[in-house]
Amino acid sequence: MLTIQVNGVAHTVDAPEDKPLLWVLRENLKLTGSKYGCGQALCGACTVHIDGQPTRSCVLPVGAVGNKAVRTVEDIRNEHIGSLVQEAWRELNVPQCGYCQSGQIMAATALLKSNSAPSDQDIDRAMSGNICRCGTYPRIRKAIHKIASEQL
Amino acid sequence: MKKHSKFSRRDFIKVSVMAGGGLLVACGGGSSGGATARPNSPENGNNNPPPANEEYQVGEFMRIGTDNRITVLVGAAEIGQGALTAIPMIVAEELDADWSLISAELSPVAARFNNPYFQNLLQFTVASSAIRGYFDPQRSVGATIRQMLISAAAERWNVSASSLRTEASHVIDDIGGRSASYGELASAAAEQNVPANPALKDPASYRIIGTSPQRTDASDKTDGSFKYGMDVDIPGMLTALIARPPRFNGQALNVDNNAALAVPGVRSVHTIPGGVAVVADDFWSAEKGRKALQVSWNELLAGRTDSASQRDEYSFKLNLPGVPIRSDGSTLLAQTLSSETLSADYYFPFMAHAAMEPLNVVVDYDGSSAEIWTGTQSASLDKIFAGVVLGLLPNQINFHMMPSGGGFGRRGNPLADFVRDACFVAKSLQQPVKVIWTREDDMKGGYYRPAASVRVSASLNSANEVTAWTHRAVTQDVTASLYAENALDALHELELPALGELTDFDTGMPYKIDNVSMDVHLTVLPNMPALWMRSVNKFSDVYAQETFIDELALRVGQNPYAFRRALLSEKPRHRAVLDAVAQASNWGQSASGVSQGIAVMGHWNSFVAQVVEVSVSASRELTIHRVVSAVDCGTAINPDLVIAQVESAVIFALSSVLFGEITLEDGVVQQSNFDDYPVLRMHQTPSIETVIVNSGNTVGGVGELGVPCVGPALANAIFGAIGERIRELPLSNSNFIIA
Repeated sequence: MLTIQVNGVAHTVDAPEDKPLLWVLRENLKLTGSKYGCGQALCGACTVHIDGQPTRSCVLPVGAVGNKAVRTVEDIRNEHIGSLVQEAWRELNVPQCGYCQSGQIMAATALLKSNSAPSDQDIDRAMSGNICRCGTYPRIRKAIHKIASEQL
Repeated sequence: MKKHSKFSRRDFIKVSVMAGGGLLVACGGGSSGGATARPNSPENGNNNPPPANEEYQVGEFMRIGTDNRITVLVGAAEIGQGALTAIPMIVAEELDADWSLISAELSPVAARFNNPYFQNLLQFTVASSAIRGYFDPQRSVGATIRQMLISAAAERWNVSASSLRTEASHVIDDIGGRSASYGELASAAAEQNVPANPALKDPASYRIIGTSPQRTDASDKTDGSFKYGMDVDIPGMLTALIARPPRFNGQALNVDNNAALAVPGVRSVHTIPGGVAVVADDFWSAEKGRKALQVSWNELLAGRTDSASQRDEYSFKLNLPGVPIRSDGSTLLAQTLSSETLSADYYFPFMAHAAMEPLNVVVDYDGSSAEIWTGTQSASLDKIFAGVVLGLLPNQINFHMMPSGGGFGRRGNPLADFVRDACFVAKSLQQPVKVIWTREDDMKGGYYRPAASVRVSASLNSANEVTAWTHRAVTQDVTASLYAENALDALHELELPALGELTDFDTGMPYKIDNVSMDVHLTVLPNMPALWMRSVNKFSDVYAQETFIDELALRVGQNPYAFRRALLSEKPRHRAVLDAVAQASNWGQSASGVSQGIAVMGHWNSFVAQVVEVSVSASRELTIHRVVSAVDCGTAINPDLVIAQVESAVIFALSSVLFGEITLEDGVVQQSNFDDYPVLRMHQTPSIETVIVNSGNTVGGVGELGVPCVGPALANAIFGAIGERIRELPLSNSNFIIA
C-alpha cells in the first residue's frame, strides 16, 4: 500500500512501487484524463505536474512520487493559469482528436506559470516534447501567446 | 413511452413521441439490411414489433426534449475532424434550430446511420466522406422536422402553415404576435404527417452553415473528461496485451507461460490466431507478464518482406506495362514525334499512421451476447467480424463506436484486425477485457501506407509544348487482402464499397496535355498488411506529378506557377486555387535566401494549391518557414474546421515527407516508437496560412485534401534553393539536417 497526494487529496493505493504513476492514476484512481501514448516519455500525452513541474507520468514509478503533490488535468482548472489555458484552448478550437491535449495543457500551464511572456523559442523549448498527430501546434502557439498578451 | 410511428414513402423518416412529450426522429436510409441490423430487434422471423422503448433506443436520430434541447446522433466516426460539430450544424441549419441548444452524440451501429456515400451499406468514415456522404440526408431530416413543427403550430393556433416562419428553435406567428418553442411543439409535431419533399433552404439564407461555432467537443477535450476507447472501464474488467509474432502471419508454436503466470497480477495466457494474449488485473502486470512469456513461432508461412529487395522489384516493374487506368490520345505516337522525352523515377517507403491513441478494444462477452467498445472508422464491418469470431448474431452485439484519438485510416480496416483479436481473447476468457496495444505494438502491427514506385515521363515538341504524359505506379493493392482472407467466406453476401470509391486514380493529372497514359501495378502481398493512410495513393502520385511538372516548367524556361496556370485553362477550380495561393503567398517575392515551391491538385470534389517556403544552409540545414494553402471545398460547413483540417494535413504531410519510413528486414519491422519513427514537433512547425476559396459548389472532402501537395511544393522549393531534385522520401534519407 502506498499513499500519494493527487489533486489535493491523499490516496492510498494497492500498487507495486514500480508501477508507473500514469497507470495508478488511470486504473487505481480512475483519473483517465492523463493519456497513454508511448510509454517511453517520448510523446508527452501523460504529462502531469509534480510539485508544479511538468513530468512524464508513464515512466515515473509511483514509489518515487513520495509526498510530492501530483496535479492532473482534471484539477488544473483550480489553478488560475490552468483555467486560462483551458479557456483559450476552447476559444481557439485547439483540440482535434484531443487525445494529446491533456498533456499539452499541462505543459502549457507549466510554461506560463514560469514565464508570463514566452517567446516563440520559449514555446518551442517547453512544448516540443508533446507530440500532436493532428497538428494543432499552430493553435497551441497562438493560444499561449494570446493568454500571455491578454491575461498575464 | 407512447409510440406514434408514421412512415414516409420510403421509410425514410420515422417520428414518434418520447416519454415526457419530446419528439424523436429516426432517420432511415439503410437500403439493405445486409450490413447491419438494429441490434435490439430480431433480424428474421416473427413480425412482432420489438418493444417500443428498445426500438427507439436504436433508431433515434434526433431528440427534441420538452426543455427545447436537441440532441443529434451522428453516424460518422469522430476522429478529430469535427464530425460531432459539422454534421449537427447541417441538421440545425435546415431545422432553423438555436445552435446553442444543440448537442451531439455518436450514433449506435445500425443501418439507418450508414454513410450514404457508401450506398448506405456501412458506417465507414474513410475517403473524406463524412460531410460528403451525410450532407444531403441531414438537410432533409432537418427540413422535414421543421415542416412538422410548423404544422403543429398551425394546428394549435388554427392558422395557415404558410403564415408561419421559424427562427432559433421557435415557430413564429408574426400576424398573431405569438411564438412557440420547438420543445413545446415537439409532441404535437410528432403527430403530423411527414412531408414528402420538404423545401430546402437557398444557401444564401444559411445562418449556421458557413459560420464557425466552437467544436461541440471542445470543452470535454480540455478538462480530461472526454472518453476514448482507452478510457472505457467496466466492472470486473481485466487488461490484456498480445504477444505478436515478429513476422506477419507467424503462428504461436510453443508457449511457455510459467514465468508469465508467476508475475503478480497475471491471470491467464491464451493463444489466439494473432498471437498469445497475457491477461492481467492491470496494464503494468500484463506488460511484465508479456515480457516474461516465452513463445516460439512457426514462421513457415510468415511474411519475409524486405524493404530493400522490394524496392528493387518495384523499380524493375516500372519497366513493364501495368493495368491501364487512363488513356488519352496516343502517347506512343506523340513520343515518337517529340523533340525530347524526359522521365523520372520516384520511391516512397512504407509509413505508419501512428495515431496518438494506440489501438484498443473492450469486449464484454458472456457466451451468449457481447458488448464492445472501440474507437473505429469502420464500425459496421467491425461488428460483423465480431459476430463471426464470437458466433453471435448482430442483435446479440451492442457495439459502441467510440471517438478516436486519431485514425488517419488505421482505424478503418475493413478486415477489423484489432476487433477480431480482442474478440478472440474475450471468447477464450469470457470475462470483460480491454485489449491494449502498446505504442510498439501499434508501430510494428502492420497495415501501413504501402511502399510505392512511380515513373513519370513527358514529351516536348519543338515549340516546347507538352505533347505527352505518362504515369506508372507500382504499389500494393490495399484491398487485395480483403479477398484473400478466409474470414470473408462467412460473409459472402456482404457487399463492399467499390474500389473506385476508396481511391481516386482517375481524377489525377489535371493538365491540358493531349496524349496521356497512366497505368498501375497493384501487387498482392498477403503477408504484408497494408492499408489506406490519409490521402492514400495521392500522396505518392501527386508528389511525382507535381515535382515533375515543375521540372518541365524550368526546362522550357517558364515560371512554375505560370506554366501550370496555362495548362489548367480548362480547369477553372484548379486555376482559382492556384491563383489564390500565388496571391496569398506573394509568389515570386519571397525574402532573400528563401525559396518557394508550388503544387496543385483536386481530390474528392475539392481543390487545393499550396506554396512552401524554405531555406537550406550550406551545411544542408533545412528550415521550412511557411506553408500557404488555398482550398476550395465547394461549401465549407464550418470554415474554421476546414482551416483546422488543412493545418492538420500540412503537419501530417510534413511528418511523412521529412521522416516517415517503416523499414523491414527479412520480414521484421525495424521501428518501434517515436524515437525511431519521429513525427513533426512544435519547434519544426512552420507558419501555416490557409485561405478558403468559396466556389459555392457542392460539398467536397477536406480531411485528406491538404496532404498530397505539401511534399512536392516542398521539394520544388528545395530545388529552387540548392538545385537538387528529391525523388525519394523521406527527406531525412537525403542528408538534410532537419532542425
